[in-house]
Formats: sequence, C-alpha cells, structure tokens
Amino acid sequence: MRIIFFVVILAAGLMYSYVAFTNLDFLTMTGRLGPGFFPRGIGVLMVVFTLWSMSAELRPSAAEGRSDVGGYAGQVALIMGFGVAYVLSLGLIGGIPATVIFLFVTLSVLNRNRLLQNGLVALLVPAAIYVLFDRLLNAAIPEGVLPLPF
Amino acid sequence: MDLFADLWMGLSVAISPINLVYLLIGAMVGMIVGIIPGFGPAAGLAILLPVTFGMDPIGAVMMLAAIYYGAMYGGTITSILLNTPGESATVASTFDGYPLAQKGRAGPALVMQAVASFTGGTVGVILITLLAPAFSHVARNFGPPEYFLLALLGMLTLIVMIGENWKLGVLSALIGFALGTVGVDLETGQSRYTFGSAELIGGIHFIPIAIGLFGLGELYFAFYRGLHRIGSGSIAQYDRKKGFWPDLADWVDTKFTLVRGSILGFVVGVIPGAGATIASLMAYSFERSFSKRPKNFGKGEMAGLVAPEAANNAASSGAMIPLLTLGIPGSASTAVLLAAFLLWGMRPGPLFMTQNPEFAWGLIASMYLGNMALLALNIFAIPLFVQIIRVPYRILAPIVLVICTLGTFSVSSSMIEVYLMFTAGIVGFFMRLYGFSPAALVLGLVLGPLAEEALRQTLTISRGSFWIFLERNGSIGIIVTTAVLLLVLPLMQRIGRRAGALKQGTVSEAEDAGV
Repeated sequence: MRIIFFVVILAAGLMYSYVAFTNLDFLTMTGRLGPGFFPRGIGVLMVVFTLWSMSAELRPSAAEGRSDVGGYAGQVALIMGFGVAYVLSLGLIGGIPATVIFLFVTLSVLNRNRLLQNGLVALLVPAAIYVLFDRLLNAAIPEGVLPLPF
Repeated sequence: MDLFADLWMGLSVAISPINLVYLLIGAMVGMIVGIIPGFGPAAGLAILLPVTFGMDPIGAVMMLAAIYYGAMYGGTITSILLNTPGESATVASTFDGYPLAQKGRAGPALVMQAVASFTGGTVGVILITLLAPAFSHVARNFGPPEYFLLALLGMLTLIVMIGENWKLGVLSALIGFALGTVGVDLETGQSRYTFGSAELIGGIHFIPIAIGLFGLGELYFAFYRGLHRIGSGSIAQYDRKKGFWPDLADWVDTKFTLVRGSILGFVVGVIPGAGATIASLMAYSFERSFSKRPKNFGKGEMAGLVAPEAANNAASSGAMIPLLTLGIPGSASTAVLLAAFLLWGMRPGPLFMTQNPEFAWGLIASMYLGNMALLALNIFAIPLFVQIIRVPYRILAPIVLVICTLGTFSVSSSMIEVYLMFTAGIVGFFMRLYGFSPAALVLGLVLGPLAEEALRQTLTISRGSFWIFLERNGSIGIIVTTAVLLLVLPLMQRIGRRAGALKQGTVSEAEDAGV
C-alpha cells in the first residue's frame, strides 16, 4: 500500500511537471517571470523527492519490521465507506435527513445494542445542527431533490 | 506609554458584550477540542472557521484565537484523568499528571494545571504586548526578498522538526505549494491547472483542505489506532469536597517552576516550527534537572505537571508573535489562523499592527481576558468536561464527520468543496499513516502563493539576479537566523525526546501526533 501511495504521488508530480513545461510560459511577453516559473521548479522537486523517497522505500532494510496493513484498517474502510455514502446522499435527500440516516446507521454498527441511545443521537444532533446553521447562523445546508417542509 | 494606550484601546474593543460572548464560546469550544483525543486545535479552527463568516472580523478572530489557546487547557484534563493526551502538546502532562491522579491527587493536579496554564498564557501575552511592537519595528523595512525568505524560513524550520522523515516533509510541503498554484495567475491572468473547470478558476480553497486533513484525516487515523474501542471506564476519580484544592507545599514548590516554564515556553513558541509540543517536553526536561527530587519525576511530582503546562500555554502565545508581526505561521494551527486573517482581507506582517491597531490590539487584549475565562472554566466546569470525556469516541466520531461535511458546505454552498474535503481526508489519513506531514502541506498551501508572489517581485526588482538576497541587510539577517535555527532546532528536539524517553508509551503518542 505504501509504495502505491508513492506511485500515485509520482504520477501526480509527473503530470504537474508536464503541464508546467508544456502549457505554462516561463517568461511573459515583456520578459518578466511567467506563470510557469514557480510550477516548473515545484514539479521537478516533487518528482526528485518522490523518487528519492521511493528508492529508500524499495531497499530491503526499509520493509523489515514494518507491516502495511495493521491497526484497525477494516474499521477505517468502514467509516470511509459510510462517509462517502453520506456525501453522495446529501444532494439526493438533503442535509438533515441524510444526517439522521447516516448517524443512525453508523452508530448502529459502531455502538451496537444501544438502539435508544443511537436513535436519540441520530435525532438530536441533526436538530441541533439545523438550529445552529439554519436559524442562528443563516448558513447553507445541502437541499435534496425535495426540500424540507419547514 | 504608547504601549498602554494601545492596550487600553484593544481592551475597549475586546470588552464589548458581543465580543465577550464570542470569546467565551471560543474558550469553551477550545476546551472541548482539546479534550477530544485525535482532534487538535488545527482541526477545531478549520471546522469552526466557516461558522465565523457571518461575524464581525474582530469578534471572529478573538473566538478563533481562544479556540487555539483554549485547546492547550482542555488537552490536559484527559492527560491527568485518562492518561491520554487530548493533543500532542499535552503529552508531557501525562508523565506526572496521571501518576498524581493515581495517588488520589487528581483534584490538586487539575487545579494546578489550570493555574500553570493561566500563568503561562498570561506571561506569554505580557511578553507579546512588550515584544510584538519591537518585532514589527525591526521588520518594517522588509520588502519582497525578505518576505520570500520568511516564507522559506517558516517551511524549513517545520521540516527540520519533522526529524528523520524530513524528505517526506519536503514532499508534503511541495504538494501544498503545487495545490497553491491552481487557479488564475494574478500577474498574467493565465489559468493554471484548472483543466477548463470554472470551479477551479478561483484556486483550491484552503478550508476544505484543512478540514479534510486535520478533521477527517485525524479521525480516520484515530480509528486506525483503535481509539473508538477505548471506553471511559478508566477515568481517574476525584472528590470535589475533600482534598480537591492544592496544599501550601504545592504552591511553594512550584512558584519558580511556573516562571521558568512560562519563559522557556514563550521563547520556544516564538521560533517557527518548534511549537508547544517541543516547548512542553523541553520544560519537563529542564525542570527535572533543576529539581531537588529528580527521582520523583514520572511518579507524581507536581513540578513535573506544572512545567510543561506553563510552557505549552506560553508557547501558544509566543507563536502569535511571528504570525502577527512577520506573517509566518509556525504550525498548522497558526496557518489556519493566518488563513482566517487572509479571508478577512488582512495580511499579517510588519505593518499589520500599525495599519490595523484596533484589530491587532483587540486580539492581544482578548487573550488576557480569554486566559482569565479559561482559568475559571478549568476549575469550576471540570464536572462538565468529565461528562464530555465519558462520551466514547465511537459516538463522537460520526458527529465530527457530520460537522466537517456540513461546515465545509456552508462556506460557499458547493458540493465540489465537500468532495475535495473528503478526498483531502482520505489523503490525510494515508499521509499520517506513512509518515508524511499534513501540517507542512497546509503551510505550503498558505505560504506558497505568498512566496511565489514575493519571489517574482524580487526577481523583477533584481532583473533576474539571486544576488539580491545577499545585498540587503534584512535578507542577510533572515538567512543567518535560518542557518542558526537549522542548527539549534534539532538540539531542542533531542532534549524534548530525552524527556519523553521517561515514558516510552506516551512518547510514541507524541511522535504519532507529529509537529
């Protein structure tokens, strides 16, 4: 996993550098430093440092005593998955209903066998957020396809 | 006398009823942010920043600053009662704080940490009051070359403090710089890395990235470490009626510790990149060497709690000096504060205090009041915070995720920014997991555009010659300062680590938390 992360950064660095060298001018028409000056330097340094870090990573001694998958990786994937589903549902059913459902489902998995507690949190937290954001701060909350009746 | 007139003017701004309300809310939120493990002041500031957009800028910055230094107070409560630092700057407080609680002295430990935090915070603000105008005066002749070098100094010191993972720190900073170049180039009007998207013309906004990295990224990392599986059953008990207050010996033994910790913390805090974590660990180490009972350290010695507490609060005040007078944020939290200033159209730097006296002195004056409010909150609202500690992380985490999401959306009603925040959260998790530095990325994102603008102006002035950096007194001064700091900072880090070696478990916690 670690090396994949480096490969992703390397790919991003190469693409960033490519655009800097091909699409962005080093100097302006008047001879001043152009929009490509800074990105070119950053892009080259990004690629150099990623390769340097990767070469250290690929040495056999680097892998000794280190495990890529450890801790509670499954739980992290679970909460990330719930998070993504929550964000995608915001535009469909609206901020407050999506929050109620997200909290109830997530808590049902993380905080098992406490139905009443989970239900109360899933209702009271969105209610408090609605009052704070919508009524007190006049801040926007995502609206779904059907707006809230209140 | 000007100093007192300025401070008086600042006090008259800070003491308005609405600003006092904001200050109290900030102090309270800061305490709560400090209490929640894996949720530092940078995350708290980033998440609360959108909420402040409807407020008057002075009140908003007072509130954000109170969250920043309030977190230092709150983080210690869990260090003492749960042996879990609320945030990295309170790691050293577990060394003697928790053993004190185990000995049945949780009450005196809680009161003494509040007093130490108040002393450190107040000494820090007094020193800001005295020194900030002098710093501003020295930096008044700075031009683009000096601004570029200052941005570089801020980055370099942070990267040096990352230690053996410095290459990954540089890479993190470069990613931040790269993100900072997205959008329209202000000098030529040419689009950079927008790929035809109208959403990216204005650049990548700081807030979704900061919320993602420090809010969601830290939350995922806390899950990875299994924080959601820790219950609240191991909270140390204390009795508010019997043996709650410190005895005379506690006060007498620690009176000089308070002063030493505060001054050392402030000095370390002023140095960009050093931060409150190193300050508290250094203060602990120094105090042990000063003590007549060094063998008692780690077993419940009050001075071992008071020194790091005074130091981390003084350091958080000290970090305001480079921020206000030079425009350099030395840490992730102060980078978020700098972003807040920039969002309100104010650019901290040498002229900031003379051009915005009401704002600057209002903020400084509010820090005196904020520390008083936090002292009272710390002593008299402990039962409330203990109730918050009892809420398991598995319940808090989904609520934090919701606040991060809706807070990001509220900034500009854009789902794109929510997607960006989630992506930053996932990237932030892997960065923490693999030893990268989210703080360096955020600093790069904030300082990158400023550094690019300054460098282009500098090279235009010098007609492309880099020798200009060696022809100006200000530039030479900054280069020398940078060189000295690059030598001194690793030594400071080593002293801090040696202090941490006392408690191996908690040190790995400090290293986990990063700089």
